[in-house]
Amino acid sequence: MNKLVKLFITSISAITLALVSYTSSFAKVDGEYIVLGSAISLTGKYSSNGVHTQNGYNMAVDRINKMGGVEVQGKKYKFEIIYYDDESNPKRAAQLAERLIKQDGVHYMLGPYSSGLTKAIAPVTEKYKIPMVEANGASRSLFTKGYKYLFAVLSPANQYLEVAIDLAVEKNGGKPVRIAQAFEQDAFSQDVRLGILDAAKRTGSEIIIDDKLPKELNDMAATLAKVKATKPDVLVVSGHTKGALTAIRQISEMKVDVPMLAMTHCDAAKLSKQHGKNSEYALCASQWHKNLSYKDKFFGGGKKYDKDFKKEFGYAPPYQSAESSAALLVFKDAFERANSFDRDAVRDALKDTDMQTFYGNIKFGPGGQNVAKPMILFQVRCKGDTCENKVVAPTKWASDKFYHPIPKWSERS
Amino acid sequence: MNAIRQKDLILYSGLIILGLAAPFLFSAFKVQLTYLCVLIVLAMTWNLQGGEMGYNSFGNILFYGLGMYLTASVQVGMFFPLAEWTESGGEKTFVHTTAQYFQGIGVGLLVAAIVPTIVAGAIGYAILGLRGHYFAICTLGLGIAAGEIAGGIEIIGAGQGFTTPPFPAEIVDPEARGKFFYFLSFLVLVLAFVFVKYIYGSRFRLILNAIRDNEDKAEAMGIQTMKYKIVGWMCSAFFCGLAGGIMGGLIGYIDSTDVAFDGREMGVFMVLMAILGGKGTLWGPIIGATLFHFFKEGLWTFILGWQYVALGVLIVVIVVYFPEGLMGWLREKYPDRFGEVIDEKDRKAQVEIK
Repeated sequence: MNKLVKLFITSISAITLALVSYTSSFAKVDGEYIVLGSAISLTGKYSSNGVHTQNGYNMAVDRINKMGGVEVQGKKYKFEIIYYDDESNPKRAAQLAERLIKQDGVHYMLGPYSSGLTKAIAPVTEKYKIPMVEANGASRSLFTKGYKYLFAVLSPANQYLEVAIDLAVEKNGGKPVRIAQAFEQDAFSQDVRLGILDAAKRTGSEIIIDDKLPKELNDMAATLAKVKATKPDVLVVSGHTKGALTAIRQISEMKVDVPMLAMTHCDAAKLSKQHGKNSEYALCASQWHKNLSYKDKFFGGGKKYDKDFKKEFGYAPPYQSAESSAALLVFKDAFERANSFDRDAVRDALKDTDMQTFYGNIKFGPGGQNVAKPMILFQVRCKGDTCENKVVAPTKWASDKFYHPIPKWSERS
Repeated sequence: MNAIRQKDLILYSGLIILGLAAPFLFSAFKVQLTYLCVLIVLAMTWNLQGGEMGYNSFGNILFYGLGMYLTASVQVGMFFPLAEWTESGGEKTFVHTTAQYFQGIGVGLLVAAIVPTIVAGAIGYAILGLRGHYFAICTLGLGIAAGEIAGGIEIIGAGQGFTTPPFPAEIVDPEARGKFFYFLSFLVLVLAFVFVKYIYGSRFRLILNAIRDNEDKAEAMGIQTMKYKIVGWMCSAFFCGLAGGIMGGLIGYIDSTDVAFDGREMGVFMVLMAILGGKGTLWGPIIGATLFHFFKEGLWTFILGWQYVALGVLIVVIVVYFPEGLMGWLREKYPDRFGEVIDEKDRKAQVEIK
C-alpha cells in the first residue's frame, strides 16, 4: 500500500503545484498581438456553419494583419484568436467562455455560431465585462436582456422572412395568404417564426400549418404530406443548414407543389450546388450577398471578397463568413477609436460604431443589434445546369425579377 | 459508520480541506471544479444502479434535466410570472434582488431534489420490471422523450431555451458567483459521498448486489426486489435532481436537448465515468470522473475537432484493457491490498485442472 500511496500523493502534489503556479500564458495584449477568444462549433450539428464562421474570422485576421494591423497609441498590433470547440453545445460554450476569460486571460471575445450558443455565452461575458462582437447570434431575445457588452453585426432573426410574407401578399393582389410553416426547435428558428407570426397578423394572413421540427433534422415528410393535402400559398422552413437541405431533398422527392418556398441558410447549405435544379425558385433570406454595393478598404467590395475567399478556402463565401469577417473590422475600428486597451473604453467605442464594411453598414442599437443594415432575399435560379442565387429584394440591389409562382413539378423539366 | 479507521479519517479530512481550499488555490479553475463535483455526484449515484444493482440506466439524465428546469422555474416563478420571463422576444426585463435570488435557488433546489425522486418512484414502478437490455433501452427512451417534450412546452421556453436568473448584480465581486456554485456543488458532493458510503456499509447494498448477481434467487430468498430497486433508483434521482439544479444556475441557459436532457453527453458521460473508474466500487466512479474530467479539459483543446475521436479511442481502450475499470484492474493486480485473501494452493490447483 505504501508505494501506491506515495505515488498517489506525489502525483497529486505535482498537479497541485502545476495548477497553483499556473498564470495566464496569454494576456489581453501579448507582445504585438491583441488576443481575441472564441468558442466555435467545429463538431456537432452546427459544424459546417461553425467552420464558415471560423474561416470568416481567419480571413479577416490575415487581411488586417497584412495591411498593417491595428494602431493603438502609435504602436501597431496584430490580431490573434484563441479558438475552442464548443461542440455545438450551449453548456460547453458557457464553460469555454469562462475558460477563455479566466484561464487564457482573454479580454475581448468574438461570438460563436448560432443564437443558442450566443445566449449561453452572453451572461458570462457580461459578468466579467468583456466586450463581445458577435456575428452569428440573431435571436431577438439576445437584444432585450439589457446586455451592455454584446454587439451583433447582423440583423435580428425576426426580420429574416417577414419580407417574404409581404412579397407573397403583394403577389396575391394584396389579399391575405395561407401560410404553412415548419421550424426547428432552436432559438434562432423560433425567432424567425415570431417574425412570420407578426407578418401574418399584420397582413391578416392565416397560418394553416405550424409544425416544429426536431434538432438534427433529417426528415420533415409529415409536414410536407400536410402541405400536399392543404395547398398553402407559402411554405416557410427554417432549420439552419440541415433544415434547408432536408426541405429541398424531400420537396423534390415528394414532388410537393407550392407557389412559394421561403427558407433560411440556402447559401450556407450550398443548395444551388448540392441540389441544382431541384432547389430552383427557393426564396432565401440572407444577411449579405456579393452583389451588394458596400465597400471598405480591407476587402474592397462584395465581389472581391467573394473572389478572395474562394481562392483561400475553395468555396463561395456564405453570409455567415462575410458577417464574421465584418466582426473583426468592427473590433479594429473600435480599438483605434478608443486608442486604448481598457475594456470599458473599447466597449464605449463599440457602442458608437458607425461605419461601412463590404458586408454592410454597421451601427448598433441600444440592445446591441445592428440597425443600419436591411435583410435581403435571393432566389435560386438556374440556367441550364448551373444554378445561382439572384438577389430579388430589396429592389435597390435586385439583379433579377422575383419568379412567382413556382411552376408545378409536372411542368418542370 | 463508527468503524471509520484513523487512516480513513486523515484521508477524509484531507480531502475536505482540499475541497474547501480548492477555489482559492485554483481560482481560475472554479467552474471546472464545479463541473468536476457535479460529474462525480452523477457517476457515484449512477453506480448505485449500474454498478451495485446491475441495472444499466441511461435515464438518470431525466432527473438531472428535470432538476434543472424545476430549479430555474421555481426561482423565477416565486417572484415573477414565469410565462413572461420565458416569452421569446419578450420586451420586459425582470431583475432578482439578492435576497430573491438566493431564496429562489434554495427553494428551487429543494423542489429539484424532491420531485425527481417522486418521479423516479412512479416511473420505476412502471419499468423496473424490465431487465437487462430492455431496461437500458427503455431508460434511453425516457431521456430522449423528455427532451422532446420539454422542447414543446412554451412556459419553460420551448425551443427558445430558458435563460436562468442572472447572479444578483448587487454583489460586485465577479468571483462570488463562481465560489457560490462551487461550494454548493461541493456540499452536494459531500452529502452524496456520505450517503453512498453509508449505503456501502448497509444491508441495502447487499440486497442490491444480490439483485445484480441473481435476481430470481434473491426473490426466492424472500427479498422484495421490486421495492428495493425502486428505492435504489429514487436515491439516485434525488442527487441527480440537485446536480441538475446547480448546473442550470451555473450555465445560465437551459436548452431542452443540449443542456437539460443531454443524454448524448452527460447521460453517456456518467456511465462512462463509472465504468472507467470501476463500477460497483465506492471510489471507482470518483476516480473515473476525476480522470475523465482531466482528460477532457486537458487534452480536448489540443486536438481541436478530434476530441470525440479521442473519446471513442478512450472507450475502446477502457473496454478492451480495463473491462472492470481502474479499480477492478488494481484489484486484480493487487488483491491483497483490497483485503482479499488468495489461497495460492487453490489457485494452482485450478490452473492444473485447466
